Amino acid sequence: MMRVCHLNTCPAGIATQDPRLREKFKGKPEHVVNFMRFVAEELRELMAELGFRTVEEMVGRVDRLEPRQAIDHWKAKGLDFSNLLYSPEVDPDWGRYCQDEQDHGLDRSLDVTELLDLCAPAIERGEDVVAELPIRNVNRVVGTITGSEITRRHGAKGLPEDTIRLHFRGSAGQSFGAFIPPGMSLSLEGDANDYVGKGLSGGKIAVFPPREATFTAEDNIIVGNVALYGATGGEAFIRGLAGERFAVRNSGTNAVVEGVGDHACEYMTGGRVVVLGPTGRNFAAGMSGGIAYVLDEVGDFASRVNGQMVSLERLEDAAEIAEVRRLVERHLEHTSSSRARQVLGAWDDLLPKFVKVIPRDYQRMLAAIARAEEQGLVGDEAVMMAFEENARDLSRVGGN
Amino acid sequence: MGKPTGFIEYLRELPIDRAPSQRIGDWKEFHPHLEEKRLRQQGARCMDCGVPFCHTGTLISGMASGCPINNLIPEWNDLVFRGLWREALDRLHMTNNFPEFTGRVCPAPCEGSCVLGINDPPVTIKNIEAEIADRAWEEGWVLPEAPKARTGKRVAVIGSGPAGLAAAEQLNRAGHLVTVLERDDRPGGLLMYGIPNMKLDKRSVVMRRLEVMEQSGIKFVCNANVGDNVEAQLLLRDFDATVLCTGATQPRDLALEGRGLAGVHFAMDYLTASTKALLDGGPDQSPLHARGKDVVVIGGGDTGTDCVGTAMRQGCRSLLQLEIMARPPLERAADNPWPEWPKVYKLDYGQEEAAAKFGADPRTYLTTVKKFVGDADGKLAAVVTVQVKWERNDKGQFAPVEVPGTEQQRPAQLALLAMGFLGPEQPLLDDLGVECDPRSNVRAEHGRFATNLTGVFAAGDCRRGQSLVVWAINEGRGAARECDRFLMGRSALP
Repeated sequence: MMRVCHLNTCPAGIATQDPRLREKFKGKPEHVVNFMRFVAEELRELMAELGFRTVEEMVGRVDRLEPRQAIDHWKAKGLDFSNLLYSPEVDPDWGRYCQDEQDHGLDRSLDVTELLDLCAPAIERGEDVVAELPIRNVNRVVGTITGSEITRRHGAKGLPEDTIRLHFRGSAGQSFGAFIPPGMSLSLEGDANDYVGKGLSGGKIAVFPPREATFTAEDNIIVGNVALYGATGGEAFIRGLAGERFAVRNSGTNAVVEGVGDHACEYMTGGRVVVLGPTGRNFAAGMSGGIAYVLDEVGDFASRVNGQMVSLERLEDAAEIAEVRRLVERHLEHTSSSRARQVLGAWDDLLPKFVKVIPRDYQRMLAAIARAEEQGLVGDEAVMMAFEENARDLSRVGGN
Repeated sequence: MGKPTGFIEYLRELPIDRAPSQRIGDWKEFHPHLEEKRLRQQGARCMDCGVPFCHTGTLISGMASGCPINNLIPEWNDLVFRGLWREALDRLHMTNNFPEFTGRVCPAPCEGSCVLGINDPPVTIKNIEAEIADRAWEEGWVLPEAPKARTGKRVAVIGSGPAGLAAAEQLNRAGHLVTVLERDDRPGGLLMYGIPNMKLDKRSVVMRRLEVMEQSGIKFVCNANVGDNVEAQLLLRDFDATVLCTGATQPRDLALEGRGLAGVHFAMDYLTASTKALLDGGPDQSPLHARGKDVVVIGGGDTGTDCVGTAMRQGCRSLLQLEIMARPPLERAADNPWPEWPKVYKLDYGQEEAAAKFGADPRTYLTTVKKFVGDADGKLAAVVTVQVKWERNDKGQFAPVEVPGTEQQRPAQLALLAMGFLGPEQPLLDDLGVECDPRSNVRAEHGRFATNLTGVFAAGDCRRGQSLVVWAINEGRGAARECDRFLMGRSALP
């Protein structure tokens, strides 16, 4: 009825975090149960009417659809639906719906064939595991099944940092290091396809070119698109350029990269992203949290930012400068990046060229939380006080 | 709308009525105005619903949900919030010919279906409507509108209640020459004599509108009772078209022992006599005066309430109002969900006044009259009441059944029957040759409004049965459009 789900004014207390509105929520789980029961019941009635016993039997049966008689709308009446409702010849032995389960080939994955056994001492006894392996682009989601075993045994906290250190050489397939938990550190000497570190959940990933490579790392793309999509924690160091949509929906990972394509940090809600080189357009679109630091030596970065929700500032706070420097130092440590070395070498000269990208609402909340903490509040109490202070502020990006 | 958080920041607020003990001393209206700043806050409570229900005007379980004339409520709420009163009036007049009437007397099904009402008190839509209208009159924004050109067609509107007035105004706008025939001595129908002055002021509100309508070119003929002193067939011959808006004036009667006693009257006769006396300059001269009497009002609806309010002002000695239904719950029952009309307990103005003077709500529920007891002169002296319970009869319908042994005799010198209306009075319809449906209403489809006679249309309670002023306006407007289409072959009326 309301369609204000984006305004934080939901009068039914559903699409809102505001405690005053949430109080108004009158629903009960039983209502959902009832609703689903009625849906099922109505479906059964319709199916009985049509003479079907199962949903599978109905799949693809366009011959049982009846076009509505009343299409006399001026725009709709000329439409010919026959191609859309075409029914192919179906041999009685074939199915009209999916009957063969898809084989994802997990048995042949690197995790199942090698990594699980290799990492067993770490998973079972917490012993350090260090190994080097070759990798090819047919090896997809490398590290994910192993990571899931760690989470299953040890929970979200995973293992102590660097318990498992795997070094790969070659070209990684899609989703290298996806969802890996704390305690797993993957380094890749080579390059990677799309989705590096997708959903990264506390693990550490470093990607850098082979030592013998003759090209300049910071001028060449080393990981594909959508790296760190939906990442929630951990660290990633990419020596070289990343493709489009870097760190989209990142909510907690700290990453350093030497350049990114279009739409980087879109919808980001947390974490820190340091970019030591050029960016594509539409940077920080819909970004509502976290901070990005972009080293803008040319001075035209601002023209490629989507400024709807973020503001651009200088890097001035001493603690913050130290934090960014520490990240660049870690980047150097993990990838031997010449770019990082160069930046650290000219740190004082380059510091003024860092652009800090911070969502405006996020910044106000951080400030309000800091004020609340000064007053002695901690944790949720501090957050709630900051929320109260900002919830009704008319300058909010939410617009009310 | 302009303020999405208005409903969180402001509570529902209505102007505080004049105190009951004070207002029963006169016949003036009792709702004061709210100051502008607070009115605008009330407008700000409107939530800019993606799908508003307040203006839908649908029937759910036979009751109106949302505005039957589809008032553009979210729009004018927003305009009021912004302080754009003139624009608000224009939006209001687009759908409603008489917002100063509905803003006073409508039971406001819009508020019952207000989305905010799901779990908060709804927006004060009715009050905002009244304030827009009153302000417009004060500012002089409501002016006669003579049509740019006359069509030369003559239309008779029989009956000058809300349906007739709406039909007349719309037909006049379309350029037809409209004559409104009213059998009473003053035009307005229920607006004039059915609703008491304190709820809808006759001189400052009703007549004010009627004068503007006359200045717009509409002719009102009073004391013209078609079928009696005006020949029905002659009327059909003299006019190019006719719109019947005679109302559902046949009251429900109680065929009980003692019904013929002096002092037992229909509510409408009582209310009419009271207002007539007031307008003729002597409110104390009403032939059916309640002064010093024990009054029993039979029926718990709006007309019953109006009888209570009137009897209070006439200085009755005691007051008892009988309601045959059970007392409704304080909050919506499970089988009466939003956006249905909320069937909940309400203390209306009449009961509030009786409670202020006599100490308690005058209503007694699940009770009806068993017989009227007279004195030696054939005058009412007492009523015998009896409690009822509701049980399913052999047809499966719920029906009241008397509870034996609960009879009670109560003193009464005036008993008023306010139990609703059965339909239109038949003689005129017979005279004209208009067909009726099994419920004795004029047979004419809603939306077309055409009767079986060519060029004769029907609107309002005579077609639909007793209902709300807003439905009457809805039908009057619709019948005018269809009548215009009949006369001209097309119509630009909404």
